[in-house]
Amino acid sequence: MIVETDGMTDTLERARVSGQSRGEVIREICRHLAPFQTGERPITGDTVIAKDLTIDSLAIMDMVMELEDHFDISIPMNVVAEIHTVDQLADTIQKLCARR
Amino acid sequence: MKMLPTRNSTLPLHRAGFVSVPAMLDYAARGETGVTFYNARGEQLSALPWREVRERAHVVARKLIGAGFARGERILITADTWPGFFDAFFGAQYAGLLPVPVSIPVGIGGKDAYLDQLRRQLAASGAVAAVGLDDLAGYLADAAREFPAVRLHGGMDALYALPEKPVDLRPLGADEQCYIQFSSGSTRHPHGVQITQRALMANLAGMVGPAGLDVVEGDRAVSWLPLYHDMGLIGFLMAPLSTQISIDYLTPRDFARRPMQWLNLISRNRCTISYSPSFGYDLAVRRGAAQVPPDLDLRCWRHAGIGGDMVRADVLERFATTFAPFGFDSTAFIPSYGMAEVCLAITFCPHDTEVRTDAVDRTALAEAQRAVPAADPNDHQRARRFVICGRVLPGHQLEVRGPDGAVLADREVGRIFVSGPSVMPGYFGEPEASREVLVDGWLDTGDLGYMLDGEIVVTGRAKDLIIVNGRNVWPQDIEWAVEAKRVVKNGDAAAFSIDTGEGERVVVAVLARVSGEEARASLARDVAGAVREAIAVDCDVALVPPTLGLPTTSSGKLSRARTKANYLAGLYAPKPEAA
Repeated sequence: MIVETDGMTDTLERARVSGQSRGEVIREICRHLAPFQTGERPITGDTVIAKDLTIDSLAIMDMVMELEDHFDISIPMNVVAEIHTVDQLADTIQKLCARR
Repeated sequence: MKMLPTRNSTLPLHRAGFVSVPAMLDYAARGETGVTFYNARGEQLSALPWREVRERAHVVARKLIGAGFARGERILITADTWPGFFDAFFGAQYAGLLPVPVSIPVGIGGKDAYLDQLRRQLAASGAVAAVGLDDLAGYLADAAREFPAVRLHGGMDALYALPEKPVDLRPLGADEQCYIQFSSGSTRHPHGVQITQRALMANLAGMVGPAGLDVVEGDRAVSWLPLYHDMGLIGFLMAPLSTQISIDYLTPRDFARRPMQWLNLISRNRCTISYSPSFGYDLAVRRGAAQVPPDLDLRCWRHAGIGGDMVRADVLERFATTFAPFGFDSTAFIPSYGMAEVCLAITFCPHDTEVRTDAVDRTALAEAQRAVPAADPNDHQRARRFVICGRVLPGHQLEVRGPDGAVLADREVGRIFVSGPSVMPGYFGEPEASREVLVDGWLDTGDLGYMLDGEIVVTGRAKDLIIVNGRNVWPQDIEWAVEAKRVVKNGDAAAFSIDTGEGERVVVAVLARVSGEEARASLARDVAGAVREAIAVDCDVALVPPTLGLPTTSSGKLSRARTKANYLAGLYAPKPEAA
């Protein structure tokens, strides 16, 4: 189950800026993360990727690479190291897409 | 872009025998060979002939000297695989400064742990400059804030921006140090191995000579190994430099993402020498085998070295089987053994033979510390197979000693000691830690093993060190990560690794001061999450009943060995899967 925590205005605003719909970005992230969901807790914007899910470090690296390929962006390693949650990852992708 | 040549047109190949890193580069710069960087798609990013590496290093050296850095001062460098690292490392060599190569952040959410690591490395090395990837400039600034001695920090641009002054170069000489290698000790208390020019030259001579890789005209190397590790930096930068051969690089990240690119590069560029820990061969099989290009041709690969973690026969066999149809020859495997305290290598297996193993009785090994040949080598319940790792390099000595210090006979398991010209003088600024491992010119490797007809068989580590995917992880660091996140109280966690037969699996045993299935599951999840976030390691979590407590030694210290024994005996939940 996927729950978006952002308000609609916020989401639309970000989509306008980036040209990449936030819904699409979140959907793409969750597509990668869904297999690692644990128990009943849904994946939300607040989900801490390395902590709340059973995803291992290689799979995280894979996901980041595939997201980079999918959105045709490159996430600098210092930025990757500061990402904890699904929302932060989505923000990063949208920002980089807007700059593309 | 043109590929750098494999052979020099006129410069004769000199196999080591130089007095220093600057002397090696001075000689190699007279040829046309050099280093080339490739991306994850296998495209060439840039190529630097050794001549250009030297020219750029001279410019950087004049900037460093001009900026007032004094001879012998340390410069921390985040060692990603890119030309900037070469500029900083070799620039320091010609400026009389000691490079301190350090790792780059791994994975997501790792910022805080990485900053902590940088601060500890700055403290331990007393560095006066900290440079690296431009992306990491902010991190270097953050880490350097508490260290007023750090007079220059930032991306390589900060270094390039220094004015080039008309000063004389002051290359490090034969009697001086070369650099500081972090790799020993926990990340909380990192020990920097002092690599001297003399020890490095001695180790290189052994490594590229007939008892080692026997580098000859026509050899070409490929590497994805990180340059902040001894195997990457010495094995696949210093060794090619000491023999003036060309080397083609992938970054470790790109290798992990696309392991087939490693083999593609070997095939395309007709490379002859490449190394990996067992886990790299494993990754290539598990994640690469499905995407092998039909024209892959590994017949050129004459030395496929293995080192850096316990050499695993099963992994190598799978690799050989998978890639034999593409020309891989299993006699190319060269198991070897070494550690940063001897620069890099201490033993090599002979060439052109299959990987040789010794199957011993598990019970005699565990209970009597004796490697008794197994009655039935194929009975995996009773037999444990170890890879034979070869003879000590010429000019060096290796002994296996018992608890009383006496040298043991063949097949008796004890601590491995080595001596000879490659052994470090000590850890930087750590006389006490140095004295603990260096006694009468002998290095206590902390590893366990036994001798077999003059060859070493490594069986494990005397210390508690855990190696996961080629990474050394100290159990304390895992326990601290859990405790730092307040998931459990201090002293309530014990980390160790178990041998799954496929590799090491980290287990963290924690006191479960909660009840109810959900709370227990949540605790286990939080522990695994904290470890993954701080150390980027996956672990199993065992819950210890508070009534039982974690076992301690007679002096009241946590006993990881007994925790592990209890776990394997099924005292904790969940019980281990039968090995």
